[in-house]
Amino acid sequence: MTEWQVQMRLGLGAIAAALFLVLWAIPQWVSSPSNVQKIILSPLFWPFALAGFTGLVGLGLVLGGLRMTDDGNPVNEPTQDAGAAWMRLLGMAVIMALTMFLLPRLGMVLTSMLVFVATAFLVRTRHPVTAVVCAVIIPLVLYAFFAHVAGVAIPQGNFLRLP
Amino acid sequence: MSFLDSIAAGLSVVGNIEAFLALFVGVAIGVVGGAIPGMSATMAVALTLPFTFAMQPITGILLLLGVYKGGIFGGSIPAILIKTPGTPASSATILDGYPMAEKGEAGRALGMALWASCTADVISNLALILFAGWLASFALSFGPPEFFTLILFSLTIIAGVSGKSLLRGALSALLGLLLATIGLDLVYGTNRFTFGDPNMMGGLNFIAVLIGLFAIPEILAMVWHPTAHVGTARSLGKNWVTFADYRRSFKSIVRGSFIGVFLGSIPGIGAAPSAFLSYSEARRTSKNKENFGKGEVEGVAASEAGNNGVAGATLIPLLALGVPGDVITAIIIGAFMIHGLQPGPMMFILNVDIIYGLFIGLIVSSVFLFVIGSVAIRGFKYVADVPKRILIPGVLVLCIYGVFAVNNNIFDVGVMFVMGWVGFMMVRYRIPAAPFLIAFILGPLLEDNFRQSMLMSGSDPAILFRGPITWFFWGLTVLTVVAIVRAGVRAVRGVSLIEK
Repeated sequence: MTEWQVQMRLGLGAIAAALFLVLWAIPQWVSSPSNVQKIILSPLFWPFALAGFTGLVGLGLVLGGLRMTDDGNPVNEPTQDAGAAWMRLLGMAVIMALTMFLLPRLGMVLTSMLVFVATAFLVRTRHPVTAVVCAVIIPLVLYAFFAHVAGVAIPQGNFLRLP
Repeated sequence: MSFLDSIAAGLSVVGNIEAFLALFVGVAIGVVGGAIPGMSATMAVALTLPFTFAMQPITGILLLLGVYKGGIFGGSIPAILIKTPGTPASSATILDGYPMAEKGEAGRALGMALWASCTADVISNLALILFAGWLASFALSFGPPEFFTLILFSLTIIAGVSGKSLLRGALSALLGLLLATIGLDLVYGTNRFTFGDPNMMGGLNFIAVLIGLFAIPEILAMVWHPTAHVGTARSLGKNWVTFADYRRSFKSIVRGSFIGVFLGSIPGIGAAPSAFLSYSEARRTSKNKENFGKGEVEGVAASEAGNNGVAGATLIPLLALGVPGDVITAIIIGAFMIHGLQPGPMMFILNVDIIYGLFIGLIVSSVFLFVIGSVAIRGFKYVADVPKRILIPGVLVLCIYGVFAVNNNIFDVGVMFVMGWVGFMMVRYRIPAAPFLIAFILGPLLEDNFRQSMLMSGSDPAILFRGPITWFFWGLTVLTVVAIVRAGVRAVRGVSLIEK
């Protein structure tokens, strides 16, 4: 992705977002009482104003992009194996989705242990034994602090009840 | 209340072992957090925030301020030893710090960095004590139109100077303002983008958004490129900084501190530009200007004085006006809010004990920084050896616990993950995250003051130009936009000329 591509994508994305907000999202998901006399005091005014400015900024970015020359240099450092990098990112997204699914079921401590191990192996740790040991100790220490010092009701889940 | 009464009130809240212990631990966490490549002072403050929930307000805020101060200095250690700034603020320190390390004078460079940092820290704290109260008393006369124009000016400058272009910064700020509209309307209580979900009615949780924006992208960056932070640390060498070195660099240190104070007190500019300006001024005026960039100890002193001079000064707009000067103070404002405190001019009347308690704590923090920094310089090799691929999963688990602890709500953990991906995309697309977060915090305040102004005037926009203060902020806003646009046009022309 070159600087020019970034600029154009941002500009077009901002215009698309502004149009989506103005034409669909704000009328659909922002409600306003019918007795508001002046639009400037309506709950709709601020989101519409922000959406309008977003569209203008998008337009500015596109115009700026049209004046730029594409130097062909990538803006982000290339990784050695982009395919593997994308797969790891996908893996992280799956870990996050599973975390949300497991938190109410397994509880925070067990879920965190699994998240720790999965993430450590995802980033190809060179210390697998240390990773497993830390995966057990760190969630337990954090549980002890938040549950017993900060008084937070940490979710316990259906399988493990900690004191 | 006289000055002495205020100091006595401040001592009454910080005159205990917990407060000073929290400050000491905070500085230590900050130095270590700032010294670990791949972490940053911002991330260290964000991750420490959840631990302050159970503390007294003053203790928790001192802990965070300690992390802030320590983190800014800590960033200089990897900058000098492995040519990787621990925080963006330390980028200028590399220019002379790393060449000194290559010559076997890393210990001397780090010693000077510490002395310059502590000196600048003291000057910055004194500036805070002198100016914050004065500014707050002036701000007491502000009404909604004045606050609206002040926040608008702050957002403009933050958007303008945070990233590569004003438009990208503005886009970031607008996205933050849009995100802040989620929840119930401030005046009518109707739904805005809540999708009927009760979790959304109070708006998105600030801590979830900030940890998502500033900690999760680091984890995703590590997942994207697991070996990015691997570097080799230089040895400290046998030469250490001497008092003669300090005396020779003293003028640059003081000048850099004042540059830091000036730039730090303007919302949005931050420590990195201050460090570079201080460095270039030192190079311009030094007798040894030809040595700059080749390992000149005065260069290290100037850049470290520049970035540490900002640390106290960014608290001036935060405490006096309730406007965070940078991302870290935006996180610290969250700590105030969690403890039911609203920074701003009224705090100087209602919570004078906390204000003066913070002032006392900040002065003491410079001493702690000197002590802990001296130890950290020698112990960096152990910090550098912490395996990043063990550290990062630990950070993720800490984020999950910390964000959940704010409201005991799993929904917030989901918000953090989503914001993490947003933050990662922003990094990939070179959109600065600072305007996003600061606009997200100031968004409700901006809208509230705008609508209050309209209610006061019967929807007449002329109220936004009602007096010299509003005109002053409008003028500054226009000046800022013109200056940033001109700088952008000059940069583009410069690039075109080079290409030709």
